[in-house]
Amino acid sequence: MKNIVTLLAFASLGSAAFAQGDCASALPINLGLTVVPVINGMPPIPTCVGNPASNGLWYRYTATEDQALQISTSLPVNVGLDTRFHVYSGSCAALSCIGGDDDSGSGYLSIATVSLTAGNSYYIAFDNFWSSTGFTVELSLGTPPPPPPDNYPTFTSQTLTSGSVWAIVDMNGDHRDDAVRVSASSVFIHEQQANGTFSVVTVPTPPALHQPSWSLAAGDIDGNGWNDLMYGGGQGVSFMLRSNDGNSFTHIPFTQYIFSQRTNMVDINNDGLLDAFVCHDVDANVHFLNMGNGQLQFIQGGLGETCGNYGSLWTDVNNDGLVDLFVAKCGCDPVDIMMENHGYQNFISTAVANQMADSHQSWSAAWGDFDNDGDMDVLIGSSSSSYHKLMRNDGNGNFTNVTAGSGFEGFNGTSIEWTTHDFDNDGNLDIMGGGRIMMGYGDMTFGARPGSVSNGPVGDLNNDGFLDYMNSGTAYMNNGNDNHWVKVHTVGTISNTNGIGARVVVTTASGTRIREVRSGDGFRFMSSLTTHFGLGQDTQIEEITVYWPSGIVQTISNPAIDQTLVVVESTSTSIAETVNVDALTIHPNPVRDQLNLTATQDITGAPFRVIDAAGKLVLGGRIAGNTIDVSMLQAGAYTIQVLDQQEPMLQRFVKQ
Amino acid sequence: MPNSFSPKVRALLLIFGVVLAFVGCRRDPVDPPATPGPPSANGFDPAQGPLPTLSAYGYFTGALKDLQARPDVLPYDVINPLFSDYAKKLRHVWMPAGTHATWNGEDRVLDFPNGAVLLKTFYYDQVQPSMQRRIVETRMMYRWEDEWHFANYVWNSAQDEAFLDLDGSFTAIAWTDDQGTQRQVDYRIPAGPECRACHRTDNQPMPIGPKPRNMDHSYAYPEGSQGQLQRWVQQGYLDPAHPPVAEVLPDWKDANVSLGDRVRAYVDINCGHCHAQGSYCDYRPMRFAWHETADPVNLGLCVAPHDQIAPGVSHIVAAGRPDRSMMAHRVASTAVDVRMPLLGRTLVHEEGLQLIETWIASLDPPCP
Repeated sequence: MKNIVTLLAFASLGSAAFAQGDCASALPINLGLTVVPVINGMPPIPTCVGNPASNGLWYRYTATEDQALQISTSLPVNVGLDTRFHVYSGSCAALSCIGGDDDSGSGYLSIATVSLTAGNSYYIAFDNFWSSTGFTVELSLGTPPPPPPDNYPTFTSQTLTSGSVWAIVDMNGDHRDDAVRVSASSVFIHEQQANGTFSVVTVPTPPALHQPSWSLAAGDIDGNGWNDLMYGGGQGVSFMLRSNDGNSFTHIPFTQYIFSQRTNMVDINNDGLLDAFVCHDVDANVHFLNMGNGQLQFIQGGLGETCGNYGSLWTDVNNDGLVDLFVAKCGCDPVDIMMENHGYQNFISTAVANQMADSHQSWSAAWGDFDNDGDMDVLIGSSSSSYHKLMRNDGNGNFTNVTAGSGFEGFNGTSIEWTTHDFDNDGNLDIMGGGRIMMGYGDMTFGARPGSVSNGPVGDLNNDGFLDYMNSGTAYMNNGNDNHWVKVHTVGTISNTNGIGARVVVTTASGTRIREVRSGDGFRFMSSLTTHFGLGQDTQIEEITVYWPSGIVQTISNPAIDQTLVVVESTSTSIAETVNVDALTIHPNPVRDQLNLTATQDITGAPFRVIDAAGKLVLGGRIAGNTIDVSMLQAGAYTIQVLDQQEPMLQRFVKQ
Repeated sequence: MPNSFSPKVRALLLIFGVVLAFVGCRRDPVDPPATPGPPSANGFDPAQGPLPTLSAYGYFTGALKDLQARPDVLPYDVINPLFSDYAKKLRHVWMPAGTHATWNGEDRVLDFPNGAVLLKTFYYDQVQPSMQRRIVETRMMYRWEDEWHFANYVWNSAQDEAFLDLDGSFTAIAWTDDQGTQRQVDYRIPAGPECRACHRTDNQPMPIGPKPRNMDHSYAYPEGSQGQLQRWVQQGYLDPAHPPVAEVLPDWKDANVSLGDRVRAYVDINCGHCHAQGSYCDYRPMRFAWHETADPVNLGLCVAPHDQIAPGVSHIVAAGRPDRSMMAHRVASTAVDVRMPLLGRTLVHEEGLQLIETWIASLDPPCP
């Protein structure tokens, strides 16, 4: 061992001793051809492309004018070689990636164009990740890349850690997203500081029976104000519950065999306690009901009975206030699952009726309101072909396949991750998947943003209102634009502590946008629990409404833009004042089993929900045949709301 | 010998073998009865499900850990076994009297009769601290009502019984391998549904190994070596009317075989069961069965991966570049979500990885 250390010491001495061996000794490089010798200096850090290498060679280029500089090893003389480089602005003490490339040239050669400012110096570092063999590089003045249309988002990479970050979520209750990675015995929390830096907090855990090899979800299972973690492992699930002082975790392992895929935390039975769900690859899906006494009850079945479950997502498909379940499926029995939650853990399969019961070999699906009409649409992205399916929610219980002409028809990108967020704050949801960000235009059409991406957890890592994402230990910080935004952080009091399952609606002059608080989207990562809204050029918000899982509806008028709003669930507001009580009549009242509805307009297919005297949402669904089965309700006073798109209707009734 | 059981066991096997040979000679080929009779002399009734212990079947006589099979429980092996964290394996087959397996093509698993039982015992030799053999588990597939069913028997520390257990578990094993290398593994004993992930074709449970192409070689029976298929016929376990195997799989370890064919043989048994039509991962483009890999595109040669699992991995097999190849990347990995095969191993199969890397490096670059 001592010998090796000595050797390494000599090696590093050697590399620092010659020019271009490190950033400080970078050789000047000019336009034209330059022969790069064997790569044996200090490696480029941070890496702007791919994983770190062991050696590098450094050059410095000074721009004499504002220019687009093309750096290329894709030259006939280099045929058969394999190159990679990184381009930085800034000083050697604080390098900032502005570009780089691995394989954009012919074969494994590299080519990239970077925009430079007159008078500034830039560093170009080649590395030996693939090969130490020397080659020739050509610098030339290129065509400036066209300005990104529609304020397409750009990102600056920043190395946060050498480990793999699984989650971007607030872990310390300061409403700023943190980056989370885990080991078998620790949770490492890169806590976002007010000044944009990160402070690493290591919280020990008992040895995890199952590690999050396949997915991770977060949420406050035990309601103590600290987010807990759910590890989806290859042979089962472990929960790590964070202690009241935040300094430790309690391990709740489940020994039952589960080939975990997507994990979620969600209040499945809507009792105000956060439950959990996991897709099982080779058997029926499993959920864990929170018994409220520190116990989680293992239940297998009822939410997908066959194998091949990969990407579950809980979303309110029919706008009745109850979260429904969609499961993207693959491999074994690859027909997607869609189940409407009608309350009382009564889940009804609607996959066939909604034309969702087909196969995409999909590991996840992106659910969001892509046309800003107030309901959740879906892109079911394929993992293995260009058969992606974009379905528009027509709001009346029907979905329409609008893939043709949407930008996803024939899109040949594939991936196991498909998520949706608004990356350019234009108010339209974009879709990350297939190696791209598909920019949404707000009308069910999308266009591929130039430049490839790999999915990872998404959140706001510098609290600037523009969404960032991570791959492994590298953060891709959104460079932002002049659009406005607002973020809403929900704190449940009657509903689960995180407000997971809440629908948040933001109305501005240009329209209405909806988002949901979700624990677990895409296939494996955990993205922020803070809902995020781009507002485009709108500078005022008319109102923000939160539809809590409890049934409570809470409206905030005229909140400020460009801020994070913390909304604490309160019973002091209600939808009741704003609804039309004349449009709906009901009989019999009191009622025992079947409640008949008569309305001044056709309410077939309209979502409804029933709320008890305590304000709790107990029943939901879509109206079919103008009757609602209320036989399972306990005796008492209830309110029924019919959430027609024009005007919500309301009546009160008594259950015998 | 394919395994190293004690001379006493060999002697017993020899005696049984002689008896078997005698019985085998006398028996006229018969058609299996339309409905199988009582499936086992010792009372195993598949309709009632698996028995609680391995010993209850009576397949083995003497001390259970010696695995002295009774005459009608035939040991067998396969030319290329699946890598299972360096575990050694001993296989046995049993069929109800008067029934036999029939031919289903040389690259497909034999059609076994109802009542047939396949046993595979996983063990390690020179296990610390006592440097003794440790038998870990005996996995069982049995066919009943035209379907395969799973059972698994986990051996106790006294090695005198194995108990039915399909819950799945881990057990730590440290041992010295035949080359003297110290190894250790957190060995995975599979749960029932885990078995079905790989042992599945068209949503039906299915064995993987006993394909004629992977069985047609000589086995060292106690009384002498004999072709396995010949012996199965002689035992009455295989339809004597079967055709000869046209293309026997090469042993992937055989240095006299071309590198390409060794790789084809290796992926056939280690990868082909999932990357096949109607199997666990049929939606990926690879097809790894021997009869499909004559076309190198089915091996993934110069085929781009669907999912970018690591930066710079350009193809499933990037000609000349193991470091750019998904196949090598995954075979070299122990990460639960990256490694291939996904199930059945936690360690890197170093010899297998070396084979694949050497082969990829030998292919003329570049991919177009």
